Amino acid sequence: MKKQKTRWGFIILVVVFLILLGFIFAGFISLFTSDIENFGGNTALIPIKGVIVSDGAGDLFEAGASSTEIIKLIKKADSNPNIKAIIFEINSPGGTPVASEEITNAIKRTNKTTVAWIREVGASGAYWIASATDHIVASRMSLTGSIGVLASYLELAGFLEDHNVTYRRLVAGKYKDIGSPFKEITSSEELLLQKSINQLHDYFIDDVVKNRKLTQQQKLRISDALFYTGAEAKELGLVDVLGSKEEAIRLIEDKLDITVNLVEYKKEKTIFDALSRIFSEQSFFVGKGIGSAILSKRLSNEISITT
Amino acid sequence: MALKVPKQKTFTGPALIWKRVLAFVIDMLIINFIILFPFRTLFQKMIPASLSIKETFELANSGELNSLVILISVFASILMMLYFIILEGRLKQSIGKILTNIYVVSEAKEFKFWQLLIRNLFLIPVFPFILLWIADPIFMLFTKGNKRLSEILSKTKVVGEYKY
Repeated sequence: MKKQKTRWGFIILVVVFLILLGFIFAGFISLFTSDIENFGGNTALIPIKGVIVSDGAGDLFEAGASSTEIIKLIKKADSNPNIKAIIFEINSPGGTPVASEEITNAIKRTNKTTVAWIREVGASGAYWIASATDHIVASRMSLTGSIGVLASYLELAGFLEDHNVTYRRLVAGKYKDIGSPFKEITSSEELLLQKSINQLHDYFIDDVVKNRKLTQQQKLRISDALFYTGAEAKELGLVDVLGSKEEAIRLIEDKLDITVNLVEYKKEKTIFDALSRIFSEQSFFVGKGIGSAILSKRLSNEISITT
Repeated sequence: MALKVPKQKTFTGPALIWKRVLAFVIDMLIINFIILFPFRTLFQKMIPASLSIKETFELANSGELNSLVILISVFASILMMLYFIILEGRLKQSIGKILTNIYVVSEAKEFKFWQLLIRNLFLIPVFPFILLWIADPIFMLFTKGNKRLSEILSKTKVVGEYKY
């Protein structure tokens, strides 16, 4: 009898041990597949927050949206047959033209119903992205529009001259140092830069007009790159519905006849991500010499073109 | 005058097939409902109940979910193997075998770990071990002593006690 009791005691112990081990395994799997819940819902929510850049946004010190990461999320949602629609939660002043265009094209390629939900700001490159979706929802107080291109820098030539510092120009190629802050821009250089910016602007506005099916008159009104409130944008045909997340959900429910179950698609930041970024940047700076690295970084950032 | 009734004797012989099948079913029910319970939540998150069979199939074949299912299967098979290895190694019986009164014996004197491992290899849902899902029952039906292929390889057998 005692032997029987010991035997069942041992069995219970083993079963309890295996259940605990099962919980540990399940926790371990969840840890490495942080987006496991992405499989659960039928509508993906992809946040686009901060300045839009092609790579390197959203590290420890900088809030931003990386087009590489966002495109990955769009593709992931697109390949999930359970996902019927995608809502883009936009809160961004814009970003680089290439990054904005990359995301815009990725949205155009999806087979899902897409809705842009503009929160505080969805301007410039961020509006370009929104224009690629099927519907745009914005608050009447959101800031949007600003369909233009900006390229600016601080010219320090006069300042250097006042401090008796000379910019020694050594270039191979006439326009190699175009936009250098250490010299005064020439009229031909200014023309060239303006031409490039105009080209970018034309491409940007043409794509928005095409995406939103705007008339020539509407195009003329928005081509001055002015920003608009959500209410104004609605009048101009830049926004479809005034409202918030609920309106975005309702649009999908009405169109697809489903009950929306949202799942947020976002890149999980792990300690490893943060550390690997720090280490890779450290290696670069050590290799090049901290002083020259700072200088070269400044020079490479003389002109930043943003949409 | 008292009758001289001969004492009841017992002998061990190969376990009856129905008892073995019943024991296996009981063990699998216990494993499925109790031991693999933590994985149920994971699967529920991955595959919502609202999905149709077709949608579930499509979802399971999508690249990312497929690798996740494999990962879960590997961990689940580790737990299943541990269940049988620990219980059969220590008690010579799993819960199903206790309830059906059959047990595992080694052809050697004592159980070795490799014997327990080999007789439970069929629980690993990966090629070539999945071939045992077909080979084991065939061997059990057509060999002397109703031994599975895994049992022949591991030099173990499942026996029952018979009274006469």
